[in-house]
Order: sequence, then C-alpha cells, then structure tokens
Amino acid sequence: MKPRCADYTDEIMSPEKVLSLLKRKFRKFSDTMELRDYRGGAGTDVGYQTLWVQVEKSKFLDLIDLLRELDFLHFHITSGDDIGEAVQLNYHFSLFRCAGRGKRLGVTVTVDVPKDDLVMPSLWQWIPGIEYSEREIREMFGVDFDGLPNKALIFLPEDWNEDIKPWRRDEAGPKPEDIRELS
Amino acid sequence: MAEGSNKTYKVPIGPVHVGLKEPITAWLDVDGERIKDATIRPGAIHRGIEFMARDRNPIQIIYLAERICGICSFAHIVAFVRAIEDAAKIEVPARAQYIRTIVLELERIHSHILWAGVACYTFGYDSAFHLGMILREKVMDVLEALTGNRVNYGTGTIGGVRRDITPTVEKVIREMIDLYRNEFSIFYDVVTQDPIAKARMRNVGVLSREDAVTHCALGPTARGSGLRVDLRWSSPYEAYCDMDIKPVVPQDHTGEVYGDVFDRFLVRVLEVYQSIEILEDALAGMPAGELMWEPKLPKLLNYLKQADGTGWSSIEAPRGDDTHAVRLTAGQENITWWKVRAPTYANAVSWPIMFRENDLADSPLIINSIDPCISCMERMVVTDRSSGAEQVVTKADLIERCRDKTRRMMGS
Repeated sequence: MKPRCADYTDEIMSPEKVLSLLKRKFRKFSDTMELRDYRGGAGTDVGYQTLWVQVEKSKFLDLIDLLRELDFLHFHITSGDDIGEAVQLNYHFSLFRCAGRGKRLGVTVTVDVPKDDLVMPSLWQWIPGIEYSEREIREMFGVDFDGLPNKALIFLPEDWNEDIKPWRRDEAGPKPEDIRELS
Repeated sequence: MAEGSNKTYKVPIGPVHVGLKEPITAWLDVDGERIKDATIRPGAIHRGIEFMARDRNPIQIIYLAERICGICSFAHIVAFVRAIEDAAKIEVPARAQYIRTIVLELERIHSHILWAGVACYTFGYDSAFHLGMILREKVMDVLEALTGNRVNYGTGTIGGVRRDITPTVEKVIREMIDLYRNEFSIFYDVVTQDPIAKARMRNVGVLSREDAVTHCALGPTARGSGLRVDLRWSSPYEAYCDMDIKPVVPQDHTGEVYGDVFDRFLVRVLEVYQSIEILEDALAGMPAGELMWEPKLPKLLNYLKQADGTGWSSIEAPRGDDTHAVRLTAGQENITWWKVRAPTYANAVSWPIMFRENDLADSPLIINSIDPCISCMERMVVTDRSSGAEQVVTKADLIERCRDKTRRMMGS
C-alpha cells in the first residue's frame, strides 16, 4: 500500500478523467459509477461535481489505494443502512479539497458488508480522522474494523448493552421495549 | 500538584453539551499544570436524532434538523434540504438560493461574534466580551426582522425558502452592515494590538498543518492551521457560485502560520468582514423570481414519495463543513435513513493534539478554539490516581484559573 501522505495536492485531475480511470481499473463496477453536476446562483455553470461508485468488499482497499494516489483522501463521514443480507456503508470523501475554486470532487464509495462476515479493513492508519466514524459504525451496526486501535464505544453510554446495535433492522437491532417514545 | 514528580493526574472536563454529536468529556492527563495527553469521550447527550428520523417524512425532518444546534440551525437545514434536493433532483429558484446565502452569512456573523466574545471572556477580557454581546444583538435583530425568530428561523424548506427579503428587511441588513463596518474593529484590535490577548493565545493549542490534514480538520480550525479550505470556494453552492470567495488563512494577513488559538481567532474575526462583503454582493445581485420549487406542500410530499436515491450535501457552516446524507426510497413517505456529521464531530478528533504540552489553565481556551458550544459545561473532577482522592472543581473554578493566568502575565 502507498504510505500515508499528509498534504493536499495542487495537481488536479478532472472529474471526467477520474471517472474514466475508475472505469478502466474497475471495469466490473462501471455500471455503478455516476458523476453528478451541481449548479447554483443565477448562472448555469457547473459549481462542482460528485462521483458515486459501488464496489465489492474485496476490491474496496484497491479502490481506496487508487484514490489515495490522486490526493490526500479527505474523509467526511460514513453513512449506512441495514439492507437485509448486508450492511451497506457509504464512505463520503473529498479529493482536491485545497486545489482551487470549484475543484473539489466529492467521492462516495458504497460497499456492502455481508452479515456473515461483518468486518471491514480500517482506514485509520492512512486517515486518522476516520476514527470516530469507524467507532460509530462499529457500535451502531456491529461492523468491526480490522486495524482500528481504539474500539471503545463513542456515542453510546458506558453501560449500554453492546448486543443491541441501534441502526440494525434485524434481530440485532433495538426491540420495541428498548425504545422510549417521547410523543 | 507537583510537576516533574512522575505522577500524572487525570482531569475529566465535561460532559460538554454542544449540539447533536458534540457533548464531549475530555479526560486530561496532567503532570503538575502540564497536560500530557487527552482522551475525548463524546456521547453524553446523543439523542438518536437519525434513528427518530426514520419515522418522519422529509418536511418533518426539517424541523428536527433545525434543532440539532441552536447557533447553526440554518446551516443544518440547508445541508439537509440540499441532500434531499440532490436525492430527488429538485432545482431551487435563484432568488431562494440568494436568500439562503444571506441567512447563512447572517448566521456566520452571529456565530463568529459570539465566539470572539466568549474567547475574550475566557481569558478575562470582559469589556470585549460585553461589547461582543452588544454587537451580536444587531444581527439577531436582523434575523428576527427577516424570519420572526432569533434562533431556529423556520425559513428553509425543500426546494426553496419560506420568507422573502422585502425592501424593509434589506434596509435593516444594510444598517447592520454599516454598524459592523464601524464597530466591529474592536475585535480586530484585540487580535492585532492587545499584547495580553496575544500572549494568551499565541502558541497555545497548536495544530500543525500536517495534523490538520490527516485528522480531517474543518472550517476555521483547518484554516487557522494554514489550509486553504472553504467549501464556498472549493465547491461553490447556492449564490456562492456567483461570487469570488477566497478562504481566509492567517498567512495572507500576518505572513506566517502558527496553527494556534490566536490564528483561529484571527481567521474568525476576518471572516466576519468577509461575510459582510458577501451580504452586500448577495443584496446587489439578488434576482427576482419564485421562492419555492413547489409551494403546495401535499404536491411536494407526493413528489418526494416517488423519489428514489441517495443525496449528499456538504456546506460551509460557521464551524466548518456540515455534511448530511439521506436516502429516499420510492413509495415510502418517510426517509429510509439520514446521517448528520456536524463540524465538531470532525474537529474534536484534533483536540488531543491541541491539548498536549499545554497548561491546564489554557484548556478552556483550547476547547473554545474549535468553537463548540460549551453552554452546559457543568464541572470537572480532579482525580489523584495514586491515592484515588477526588476533588471537584466547578466550571467557575476552571475559568478562574484561566483568568488568573492572564493576571499573572499582567503582573498584578
């Protein structure tokens, strides 16, 4: 793997080029790839773009490695959902965050983590800022992160029953009696 | 607490109640007055807002999102409605985008003046604090004139805004701009001229450029470390697309970057002036037209029920990038899931680095410097690990320690 870099690049690659690079290297998933334009104000120019891609878990680190070749991969947040057979995670990143007006490219990487193997590789060693989010996904969904040093609870109380994963929709999720309705 | 006796003490600060994901306890390991390490434990008031939202439709969630934070309430709803607009492919009329921009900037002014005042209060500069509170009243009045409320404005909606900028309101905003142009300079003077303020903030709570990058610092915290990051510039949205905004970084003004509390103070003070300019640009360039993509609520809700997709929005809130992501599923009235990442969630990861090798008396300043709302910070407990003895120190004691240090420096 590429060692950790610690600064942003000024050498940007256009979103279209990033997309075609991903399509070339990850041809199998090219159907999941999408580039979205965002416009604003009174004009019609594109303000910025975001890239969306979904890969299999086994290819996740390869994709992250490729993105990290382009720039320090700024991490926003991991969102996710229990979709039945798997927990689906969306990693929201930014490339070229520091490279100029309108140059930031948002990148969302979606990956399904099968419920019979709820483990993801941790990105902590390259992006220390991801720590809270990996701990949050661990306690809320029960997805373990391989390589994350601190796996303590982050938002749930110290006396929380760790068998209950609040965001799961199956038997691991909260039962009606665990939920206090306020209204 | 003797320094250098190889005995460290653990000092918990908090829980600190600061919004959705921001109630934070800081455990400080101290050797004498020196902070050796820090552990952060948020979660004291995690209210499960994202879980609650699964039973609500997008319009209902606007009101939930607005209550995540009392200060940047509008930033949260703009981030949320933009995520919905992304998922459902809704285009917002230009006039509504300009009004959103104006309210966002009013909110930034309100947040930064409050922060600058509280920072001054923390190290004992009470006259600047009181002046800050007086100045902040003006922008609160403007927000009230525009929206009817001083906080939680109820102004944003999916596909537009619910209040127009009338000529009367425009006049009030222009009065405010004139007032701030003349009166806000006190804070600028604090930054550039007051030697005590400089002594208390310079080289305190340093976050290096490299650490700011790797720990994904945001907003004024990142800019204070010299990073040119600002979503209004790097990915312009709303009316910022029509404006030439440059990230405010200390090296452009003082020629150097320390990444300390002083630089974060400087960035926020200068950003108030920047916001004033943005307000003038937005008032001058505001196009005429509709306020909403679809004013009839049942029709909008019906459209959203058909929508299917994931939306993501990151906007530049007063404290940094506020990220919301949301999933809509066709045929479902309620959203499927919603994820909120308030700026403090990311900036708090950098706290331990800022605390290391600083004085205990500087801890309130360092906590303040990333601008969390510590409105409910209650007390701290000083624990002697070797004997197990506990000593409770109140928030007032902590502030007093911080202010004592200023007095010592002034030689009185």
